[in-house]
Amino acid sequence: MILVSLVLLIVPFVFSRSMVSLINEMLIMALAGCALNLMLGYGGMVSFGPAGLYAVGAYATAILLTKYGAPFFVAVLAAPVVAAIVGAIVGWFCVRRSAVYFALLTLAFAQIIWTIIFEWYDFTNGDNGIVSIPIPEVLYVGSNIYYFSLAIVAVCIFVLWRIVNSPFGATLQAIRENPMRTEFIAVPVRRYQLAAFVISSFFLGIAGSLFCVFAGSVFPDYAHWVKSTDMLVVCLLGGIYNFAGPIVGSAVYILISKVISKNTTYWMFFLGIIIVFLVLYMRNGMVGFAAEKISRLRNRLDAGKGEDES
Amino acid sequence: MTIEALTGQALSGISVGMVLFLIAAGLSIIFGTLKVLNLAHGTIYMVGGFLCYILTSKLAHIPGIFWWALLFAPIAVALIGGVIEVLLLRRIYAQEMLYQYILTFALILIGGDTCRFFFGVGYQTVAVPWPVNGNIALWGLSFPTYNLFLIGCGIVVFLGLSALMRYTSLGSIVRAVTHNRETANALGINVPRVYTGVFMLGSYLAGLAGTLMPPMSVVALGSDMAVIIECFIIVVIGGLGSLPGAFLGAIILGLLNAFGIYIIPKLALAFPFMLMIVILIIRPWGLLGKPE
Repeated sequence: MILVSLVLLIVPFVFSRSMVSLINEMLIMALAGCALNLMLGYGGMVSFGPAGLYAVGAYATAILLTKYGAPFFVAVLAAPVVAAIVGAIVGWFCVRRSAVYFALLTLAFAQIIWTIIFEWYDFTNGDNGIVSIPIPEVLYVGSNIYYFSLAIVAVCIFVLWRIVNSPFGATLQAIRENPMRTEFIAVPVRRYQLAAFVISSFFLGIAGSLFCVFAGSVFPDYAHWVKSTDMLVVCLLGGIYNFAGPIVGSAVYILISKVISKNTTYWMFFLGIIIVFLVLYMRNGMVGFAAEKISRLRNRLDAGKGEDES
Repeated sequence: MTIEALTGQALSGISVGMVLFLIAAGLSIIFGTLKVLNLAHGTIYMVGGFLCYILTSKLAHIPGIFWWALLFAPIAVALIGGVIEVLLLRRIYAQEMLYQYILTFALILIGGDTCRFFFGVGYQTVAVPWPVNGNIALWGLSFPTYNLFLIGCGIVVFLGLSALMRYTSLGSIVRAVTHNRETANALGINVPRVYTGVFMLGSYLAGLAGTLMPPMSVVALGSDMAVIIECFIIVVIGGLGSLPGAFLGAIILGLLNAFGIYIIPKLALAFPFMLMIVILIIRPWGLLGKPE
C-alpha cells in the first residue's frame, strides 16, 4: 500500500502528460468502483444505477460552476451531498425489493435520471452537455489536477476501507450472505442496505465531480446504464470480494480499452470477448485469482514444512 | 384531437407494441424457464433485422423475397441463439445473477460490433412488401395496411404460443421444467435440451420481430439498446415469465409511447420508467404474473 502511494506520488515526474492524464482517469474510476463495490461485493446488491448517481455528482458540480458561478470548493463539496440525497430517495424505493427486482428498479431510476438530464434543457443543457466549465486556472498548472484527484481519491478510498472493516461492514457482509438469518438476529436489513446505498452514492458523487473537473465538461451519457455496466465490469475485473479489486480493475480496464481502441475501431468486440473470458474463467477477478494462487502456494509451502518437521 | 388522429395514433402505437411483444415474449419465456435475464435479446432482434435487410437487398430479384426472409431469417437467428446457449450460457446457470448479466452484456458488445463490421454505421431501409403495402379504409378512416398486418401477426403468435404451451406435450414439458427443474429432471426430462430449445424459441421470436420491423422503421445499430429497455419495461409490467402479461404489457407500452407525447411532452420518455417503478414497488410480479 505504501509502495503504491509512493509510486503514485512521483508519477507526474516520470511519465508523459498523456500517461498522467490516463492515471488520473484510472484513479477516478477506481473511486467509483470502490464506491459501487460497497454495495456490490460487500452488500451483495447488484445495481444498474451507479452511473446515475455519478452523473448527479458531475452535473451538480458543473451546474453550480456554470449557472450559479459558485466558488470552486462549494461546487465540488456539494456534489456528494446532492448525490447522497438523490441516492437516499432512489435507494429508499429500491431496497424495498431484492435480487432481480432491485436491479430492475435501479435500472429504471438510472434511466429516469438520464431522461431528466436529457430533457431538462434549461437546467442541464440537454444532449449538448455542459462544456467549458470554469475550473480554477491553478489546477491547470503543471500536474496540479493530478494531485488534486490523487489527494481526494486517496482520502475517500481510505474512508471506504475503514467503513468496510468496521462493524457496519461486517453486518453488511452478513446481510449479503444470508439476509433472512441476519434479520433473525435483529438487524434492520433494509436500513443497512439503504445506508450502503447512500454511502455508495456519496462517493460516486465525488467521483463524478472529480471527473467533471478533470474533463471540463459533462454529458447526459454519464448517467446511461451502459456506463453503469462499465463500472460493474471494473469491479468484476478486479474482483468484487477484495477491497483492492475495483482499484486493480479500474487500472486494467482503462488501460485495455485505451490500448484496444487505439489499435482497432472494433474495440467493443474485443472488450466483450475479454468479459466473456472473465466471467467463465476468472469469476473472482484478477485480485481474487492472484489471492487464490498465493494462498495455494502458501499451503504447499506450509505442507512441505510440516512434513520436514514430522 | 380528432377521432381519426386518435385511432391512427393508437393503432400505430399498438402495432409497434406487437413487434415489441414478440421480443418481450421471447425474453419472458427465457426468463421464466431458464431464470436468466437475457440482456442480449435486443441484439438478437437486431441481427434478425440485418439478416432481413441483407436478404431483401441482395436477393431483390426474387419475387416475394420479404416473405422468404420472414421464413428463413428467424430460423437462422434461432440457430445462432442455440449456439450461444450451448457454448456460453450453459456454463453460467449455476452462478449468481451478476455474472449472467455481465455475460449477456458482453454478448451485446460482441454482437453489436459484429453487425457494425458487416453492415457499417448507417441505417438501412426495407420496403413494405406486397401485398400488405398501401392503406386500408376502415370505418371511413385510412390506415397503413402493414400496421394492421403487424397487429395480426402479434395476435396470431400470441394465440399460437399459448396453444403450444397449453395443449401440446412439448408445452407441458416446458411448463414442467419452468415450474420445477429438479423434479422434471427426475422424471427423465432432458432439461439441458429443453433449455436450449426454449432459448432457441425465444431467439426465433426476436428474429421474427427483427424481420417484421424494418418495413415500418429502419435497420440500424443501436436498435438493440433501445429495444431491450422497452422489453424490460413490458415484462415488468406484464410479469416476468407470463405470456399474456407480455401481450398486455406490450399494448400498454405501445399506447403509452403513442400518447405520452401529448400529455407531458418533456417527460414522455420517462413515463415508461415511472410505470415500471410503480409496478415494481406495489406489484413486482407484474399485472399478470404470479408472486413467488
